[in-house]
Amino acid sequence: MVAHSRVARTVRSAGRLNEPRPARVEANFDGTPWQVNHQPVVVVREEWRVLDRWWTEEPVSRRYFEVVLETGENTVVFHDGAGGGWFTQRGA
Amino acid sequence: MIACLSIPGFELKAALRRSPSLALRPAALAPEPVGEPLIGPVTGAAEALGVRPGMRLGEALATCPALALVDRDPAAAELAWEEIVRALEDAGFAVEAAALGIAYFETRGVERLYGGIEPALRRALGAVGPAWDARIGAAGRRFAALAAASVAKPAQLLVVRDEEVGTFLAPLPLTLLPLERQRYEELEALGVRKLGQLAGLPGGAVAERLGPDGRRAWSLARGGAAARVRGRRPPAELAETLEFPEAVGNELTLRRALGALVETVVARPERRDRFVRKVALGARLVGGGSWRRSLTLREPCADADRIRVALAPRLAELPSPVLELRVELVELTAPAGRQLELLAAGAEDRSRLSEGLRQVRASTGPGSVCTVVEVAPWSRIPESRALFVPRDD
Repeated sequence: MVAHSRVARTVRSAGRLNEPRPARVEANFDGTPWQVNHQPVVVVREEWRVLDRWWTEEPVSRRYFEVVLETGENTVVFHDGAGGGWFTQRGA
Repeated sequence: MIACLSIPGFELKAALRRSPSLALRPAALAPEPVGEPLIGPVTGAAEALGVRPGMRLGEALATCPALALVDRDPAAAELAWEEIVRALEDAGFAVEAAALGIAYFETRGVERLYGGIEPALRRALGAVGPAWDARIGAAGRRFAALAAASVAKPAQLLVVRDEEVGTFLAPLPLTLLPLERQRYEELEALGVRKLGQLAGLPGGAVAERLGPDGRRAWSLARGGAAARVRGRRPPAELAETLEFPEAVGNELTLRRALGALVETVVARPERRDRFVRKVALGARLVGGGSWRRSLTLREPCADADRIRVALAPRLAELPSPVLELRVELVELTAPAGRQLELLAAGAEDRSRLSEGLRQVRASTGPGSVCTVVEVAPWSRIPESRALFVPRDD
């Protein structure tokens, strides 16, 4: 029988940077957000779409908005067209 | 309840304040300087002769050769609208200005103050004044309030109780819905001309045929979703104006004037260390009209040079020489409203940072300090570009 080597093995797991975080967003008729996490949106600065991985089982279809909130904070939110729901995301 | 104040043809009414005699003659707001030549709102006399808002200019002139075209005056319209919104705010209403001539407010907070919903709405109409032909609709939902205001007569209050919403909306035309022209035509081709007809269709079938826009329109036709009114923050009142002794069209002179105005307005003590989020550049033109462009800065700042650089390209859009140039700080953030970097450029102190990280690691254990490793920086999906990997060395 071989004894356990007693060598400590550290398992280090990497995480994704800028993972989307669920957000509470209220949107207008045209889909543009007017409130993000209970903060009113003052202006929608930019809007763009990301369609990717359409050839896989998990396609990405997102409608992004860069908005300025009433507090003066710039933030990016997107609506997930594939799974539904709104998310905030840094680094977009 | 949610109240909607509506002033149809507001931009025309604001422009006609300079020449009130035209209000009784066939007149229309001139088309935008760029884009399709479509006329804006029209006076009652023009409408009686068959001219409709949104007509092509040629068609309108062929219908009514005596039609007078009123120059657009966006600065006057914005100032007049601001006066109206402030008058409502002074009367105690928290106003959400949806567009020029359309404002929403909640009545719940002021009903006790004025002794009921109708006295409160009458107070609101009184605050606006009789000159604008304002009308107010009130209902439990925003869309129903807007619809009520759209069918009300000048100076009329129209309150729609929750139990009456369905019967009130049913005979109204589809044009009240925020839909593209093509969608109206599609619905009309299907024999759907009234809100009640659309509301009576199965929601799933409407969504399948017309997509998400159709689904939203269907929801509105049934009264719409509950949505709060967001009372605005009153805008800042910081502005500087420079009058020229004679009309100036030279861009270099205008740029210099802009630079001086921006420096003066940013240095005003009333700014009190707040950062500028939105600025506006306005001008009084040589022909008597006005011009105005507003701009939201990508990042709030108080640097006069950056504001000047952001505004300067707009000077090229001036349609004619100017008699007066004006810079307004429209919105200011709180002093803490700016997002700063952790380490400012040129002030990095790597050894202190390393020591700080060592202490964090010692107190919170392995895996608490990570380093960022780029794995697919070209990816269009932000979370696929980089990983953070624990770093215990």
